[in-house]
Formats: sequence, C-alpha cells, structure tokens
Amino acid sequence: MRSETPSQPRANRFGVASARLVLLLLRARAILVLLILLILFSALAPEFLTSNNLSILTKHVAITALLAVGMTFVILTGGIDLSVGSIAGLGGMVAGYLLTQGLSFGGATHFPPVAIVILLTICACLLVGALNGWLVAKAGVAPFIATLGTLYIARGAALLISNGKTFPNLGGAPARGNTGFPAFGQSFLLHVPTPVWMMVALFAVAWVVATKTPFGRHIYAIGGNERAARLAGIRVAQVKLATYVFSAFCAALVGLIIAAQLEAAHPATGESFELNAIAAVVLGGTSLMGGRGSVTGSLIGAFVIGVLADGLVMLGVSEFWQIVIKGVVIVVAVGLDQLQTRLEVRILPYLTTASTKEGQS
Amino acid sequence: MSQVNQPDAEVILEACNITKRYPGNVALDCVTFLVYRGQVNVLIGENGAGKSTLMRILAGAERADEGTLLLEGRPVALHTPRDAAAMGISIVYQELLALTNLKISENIFAGRELCRAALFVDQATQDQRSNAALRPLRKPMDVSIETGRLSLGCRQVVEIARALDQGSRILILDEPTSALSASEAESLFEVIADLKRAGVTIIYISHRLHELLHLGDRFTVLRSGRVVGEATRADATRAWIVERMSGRKEGAHDTSSTSSPSHSVVLTVSGLTLPASVGDEAAQAPVHDVSFSVREGEILGVYGLLGAGRTELLEALAGLRPIASGVVAVRGQTIRTGSVRDALRAGMVLMPEDRQRDGLFPELSIRENVVMAAKTGLFLSRDEETQRVRKLAAQLHIAAKDVELPVTTLSGGNQQKVLLARCLMCSPSVLLMDEPTRGVDVSAKAEIYGILRELAAKGLSIVFTSSEIEETQALAARALVLCQGRISAEFARDQLSDDGLFAAASPSVAVAASAAPARHAGGTA
Repeated sequence: MRSETPSQPRANRFGVASARLVLLLLRARAILVLLILLILFSALAPEFLTSNNLSILTKHVAITALLAVGMTFVILTGGIDLSVGSIAGLGGMVAGYLLTQGLSFGGATHFPPVAIVILLTICACLLVGALNGWLVAKAGVAPFIATLGTLYIARGAALLISNGKTFPNLGGAPARGNTGFPAFGQSFLLHVPTPVWMMVALFAVAWVVATKTPFGRHIYAIGGNERAARLAGIRVAQVKLATYVFSAFCAALVGLIIAAQLEAAHPATGESFELNAIAAVVLGGTSLMGGRGSVTGSLIGAFVIGVLADGLVMLGVSEFWQIVIKGVVIVVAVGLDQLQTRLEVRILPYLTTASTKEGQS
Repeated sequence: MSQVNQPDAEVILEACNITKRYPGNVALDCVTFLVYRGQVNVLIGENGAGKSTLMRILAGAERADEGTLLLEGRPVALHTPRDAAAMGISIVYQELLALTNLKISENIFAGRELCRAALFVDQATQDQRSNAALRPLRKPMDVSIETGRLSLGCRQVVEIARALDQGSRILILDEPTSALSASEAESLFEVIADLKRAGVTIIYISHRLHELLHLGDRFTVLRSGRVVGEATRADATRAWIVERMSGRKEGAHDTSSTSSPSHSVVLTVSGLTLPASVGDEAAQAPVHDVSFSVREGEILGVYGLLGAGRTELLEALAGLRPIASGVVAVRGQTIRTGSVRDALRAGMVLMPEDRQRDGLFPELSIRENVVMAAKTGLFLSRDEETQRVRKLAAQLHIAAKDVELPVTTLSGGNQQKVLLARCLMCSPSVLLMDEPTRGVDVSAKAEIYGILRELAAKGLSIVFTSSEIEETQALAARALVLCQGRISAEFARDQLSDDGLFAAASPSVAVAASAAPARHAGGTA
C-alpha cells in the first residue's frame, strides 16, 4: 500500500507552487476583472475610451462608490446597511423641499442659501444613520432588520414630504438668493466632475481611517471577534454607531448629487442603490461576516459594476441581459472569495514552515 | 516495548504507515498506530504533534496521503465521518459540536433522524432510544430540553450517547476533560470504565498526565508527526511520558516560589455579589459576598469546580458583568464596575478563558492582535508597533517567524502568549487570568508559569482561576477556593494539598459527582 502513490510528494509540491499563483491571482481578482473589462470594451466599442464617455462613466461610478465606501465600514463590523438608497432619496427630497418650498417660520417663508440647504440635508440623513446605529448598537436589533425598517421609514418620509410628487426646478431663483445648487452635481474642477472629486476625497479619508487609525482597526476587530473587542476595551457600541452614521453621510452626498444633476428631486430616487453598493463591496473582497476586506476593494468593485453596465449599454446588450450578467458576476465573485479562503487555509502552513518547530523552543 | 504482554489484547484498528502532508509541513510522517480492543488507548503529544490530524483521519474527517487503515485486519476506506460511523468509529471533539438550539434527543439523532412513513420524524422513538443511550452514562437527563442549557460536561455525555446509539465500537475522545471540572472529569472516568467493561474500545487524547496514567492501558506518544514511544500501562510512568513528549527530561517543578510580595495592597474586593445571570449559556452560580485583597507582586489562585463562579468573578472585576453589590478598589481608589474601560483605566485587565471565543481576532496579524488594547493617539505608527511587539514577543518567547502572519498560524501555547502580550501592552497593575493554560501543552505551560512568576517578581499582581489542582499548586502564592459562588477556604502556599483543595471546592462529596450536573440540566426548565 505504501508503494501506491510514489509520485504524490512531487505532485504536491507542484500543487503548492501553482496554488500560490492561483492565490495571488485570486487576491488581485477585482483589479484583474476590471482590466479585462476595460480591454474588452475598448476593443469592442471604439467610443468606449473617449474622454467624454469616461467622464460619464466615472460620474456613474461615483454614485455607487460613495455608497460602497460607507457600506464597507458597516459590513466590516459584521453589519449591513439596507437603508442607504432610501436615505439618498430622502436627502434629495429634503434638499428639494428647502430649495422650492423654503422654511416657514415667523409668518413668512424663508429660503435658506444653498450651503445651509446642503448642511440641513446632511443633518437629516445623519439622523436616520444615527437611528440605524442606535438600533443596532444599543437596542441590539439585528442590522438587517433595523436597516430594513429604516429603509421603509426613510422612503415613506421622502414620499410624505412632497405627497409623492417631484420637486422640479432646483436651480433656485436669484430673488430668493438660493441659486447654484446644480453645481453640486454638474460642475467640473480641472475637467473632472465634482462628484468624482467627492468620491476621491471620501475614498482617501476612508482609506486613511481604515488603515492608519485606531478607529479603523477597531472596526476590523469588532467584525473579527466582537467579544474579544469588548474585552480589549474597545467602545463597541460607539464604533458601530459611527459606521452607520458615516454610511448615512455617504448616502446624503449621493442624494444631493443626484438631485443636483437632475435639478429635480424625486421621492423614488435611490431605489435598489443599496444592492449595487453591497455588490460593489462584495466584489471588492469584503466578507459579509465582517472583519476582512478593504475600502480599496470596494472602490474597485464599484468600478467593475459601473464599467460593466456602461460597456454593455454601448455594446447594445439588452437591458434585461445586463441584469442577468450583473447577477452572474456577483455570484462568481463570491464563489471566488470562498475559493480564496480555502486556498489560504491550505497555503498558510507553507508560509510558516520556519515556525513549525515552535513546540521545541 | 510495544509487544503484547497481555494474552487478551487484540488489535481492532490499525493505522498503517500513515503520512499526511500539508503544504510545507508534514503533519504525520509514516505513523503506525495500533488500537487494542476493549482498552483505553492513550495518544499523547504536545500541540502540533499530529494527534488531532491522526484522529481526524481515523474519524473520516480527513484523508491520509499515504498509508492504510485496517479494521479487524481488513483495509477500509473512510472518506467521510459517515463512513467511519458506519464502521463503528465515532469521535467526540474537544470543541463539542452540540447543536445548542436543538433538544437533547434531536442532537443524538441529528443527521440520521428516525422516520415514520419515510417522511416524519419519529420523536417518540428518538426520545426512547436517547434515554436508553443515556442510561449507562449515569446522567439522567430530560431528553426534551435544549442542549444549550446543559453544562459542558452534560453536553459531552450527550455526544457520547450519540456515539453509543450509532453502535460505535471505537470511541475517540479528543481532550475530553479540557473543559470539565474535577468532579465532571471524575464522572467521565467512571463512564469510560463502564464503556470499557461493555467492550467499547476507547482512544483517549489528553495533555493531563495524571488522568492519562490513571486511565490508560496503552500509551502512544507522538512528537512532530512521528511515533516516539509506545508502552503498556505497566511500563508507562510520568517521567517517561514527559521525556518522550518533549524529547528531554522533565525539569523539576520550579517551586522556588515568588519572592515574598510587598505589603502594599493593590486590589481590594469586598462583599462582591453578582445578580443571577439570565439567559447565559449555562445557568451558573453567581458570586455571593466575596471579599479578598491582593498585594503587589502577589499571585493569587482561585480554585473551583465548573460552575463555582470563577469566570463570573473575574469577568465582574474586568467590568464585563454588572455587579449587584460590593466594592472593588485598586490602590485604595474605588472603581466604577460594569465598564471594561474603567477597569482598564484602573489597571485591571482580563485574559479570558476561551481564547478563540473571547480573545483572538482570527483575521488579524499577530502584531495587530497584540496592540489591540494599547493606548494610541490619533494615528497608528506601524514601526513603533512592530518594535514593541517584537520586544514583547522576545520577552514572552512567542515562537513566531514574522509578527505580520495571521495569529491563527500559531500553536495554542503561542496564541496564549499573544493574549498575554496584549494584556501587558496595557501596562496593568492587576492581571486577571481565567484558566491561564487551557488547551496549552506541557512545555508551554511551564514556560507560561515561568513568565508569570517573573512578572510577579517585577511587581505585577496576578489573580488567576483554575480548575486544575496541579496548576493552582504550581503557580499560586496563596489560593482561595470558590464553591457555589462563595469563598469556602483560603490556603497559603505551603498548605496547598490535593485533598484540602478538592474538599473545599466540593459542595458535599455526594452531590458533586452526579446531582449537581443533573440539577443544571433540569434547573431552568
């Protein structure tokens, strides 16, 4: 029986080398997929690589990326935020109301300037985020349920604000002193759309927070082992609350951007945006169990989704097929994630050969 | 040495020249392991010696790269645990796998439910057979209560009952006593003796030498994936096992105890009482009116059986549990209880009992695990962290090739030291340790004891709990005994006798073995 498999050791060694290569490819899969998509689409659709199209593309991506960056922190703690699409919708409606209806007090109607409108809108959205955080961190409601509840609450509130109608003409009037809101979503800085700058800035901040600050580490710790995090003296409830508030802040920016781009606020804005954001996070390699993942991955994930959607449109693929393809990409991404986890378990002992003799030390 | 000197000894299962490789690491190197029918076959080895891998292969949970398994002389292929169960081989894992949300009888029949009309679960027959399987195990239990409400000892009995009902002839027990109190372990030993009489073959894995010597008929020692010693009961001695396991002679127990602690009192606990825990896994005794003090540089042991309130006491001090009444003061300063951060600020830090559940961040690196509790400014400094972690790793002899590797690549003993390093990062004045060497091998244990004595000599006060008499004797400069949430005795170092500790810990000798667990099982129904 011993002679049964003489060639196995060699096969194993070969297996290890190729497994390491596969692992490397798997770890870089999001960026690889993105590159492949870019090459594929620019080959198939000549107008894909024009600066005009890329500008439109990144503007689309910015929406998903902003939500995904906020969502990443929530998911890293082991939670989920289903309410971001509704919060974005609510944010647009609050801004639309303030710009077109104004605030009535003291018997007169006042129209706050655009900066105040933006500030108030963000505050309204942060309140919903704080509610999410309170429900999850203090009241102990499961994140899925808590944010499903606020998804409906925020959407209902958005509909109530206008009785279901759209607020048009958000350009403001010089007489009211509230012009300039559309610039929030339409202006350019150095030939790059403002929303893209917001995405870049937010990503940079989030990246620094995640990798360079104790707060970021606490987020990973809570997702990895909440009980241990508590014992290590981490303020678990406060950190969780902060992640939901941050996610709501990102959603507020999205709501404002969309309202500014359209110069109109519609209460149904942002429906199913949360799913795109979650898909981007998952594509980027963040584990829905928490504790593992990165903001960079989510940004790349958002680009994959955006490029895919944009490219398929340019190729004239049916809208219905686009939806199917997006689903397939997500499922395959999570499948690859599982494969990566399994491979890592097998490879890790290989990386630690030197420490296998630790029993004797 | 391994040759048969009892005429009735017959090999039932033979693992022949088993080799199992993991990438870059040979877990088992041509191991031949003989299992004798109707005996307690003990497998000993330090963490990482390959014991668990070998057992997983025997239980069908893993496949060997090379080698054969012979069951009663015939080669068998065990591809899944189901195959193994069909051949009469069952395993009770160290981390009990009970489905805590299901009833006892549902656990016993999980995955092989008895059906009526091929569709519906036959609960009545399941209950009946569960009762029948539990009867010889000396633990009368109501089979319709949830397993989550059982003590660890009772859960283990449920898993053994599951194995018996499957008709297992070979039962593998992987470190069965690591989570049990002395009395629960005692009743497990009685069960093992009964099973042996009934003709069941036992494969028994443990670190605890005294129980191995007490139970074992055959001894096999593994070291670094090789069999390095085999002996029968007559030949095996403590010294022989230790020498084989570690590859060196047993160092004399370092009892050159702690330098006498100074007189300044660091921690004072008076009248500490905890509210009855609600909805906790095991309905354990809370703590009643506990008072003690710890001086600077003193190592105080708290010995007690499972459910005596040891963990609850330490968790309350660490701020994890609210207290009902009582005062905790550090250096004369009363501290606010019920807050981990306040306890940390006062210099009290807890090293938890269950490092997988309460201690480690499995996704993070060794470095990140160590620095997690450290005070930091607004931004992290990787270089500074690496430096501090390297220094601590050297001081605590953490055998890590690289502090950036995931913490899960370390052995149990080294993981324990990582947690110790994290605690030291907070520069505590009182270190609370719940079972400081749970699931740690013998040599790492001795090393940890040495480190703790050194720390105490430098002025750190240590309060540790233990369910092991040996450990309490080895480490404590003074020991309290907890029994049902109250301090039942206090011993100075030179008074620490086996009998004294055990007697003080047992509510009453008769109750300890059987009635107490049964009450656990039914108490909250």
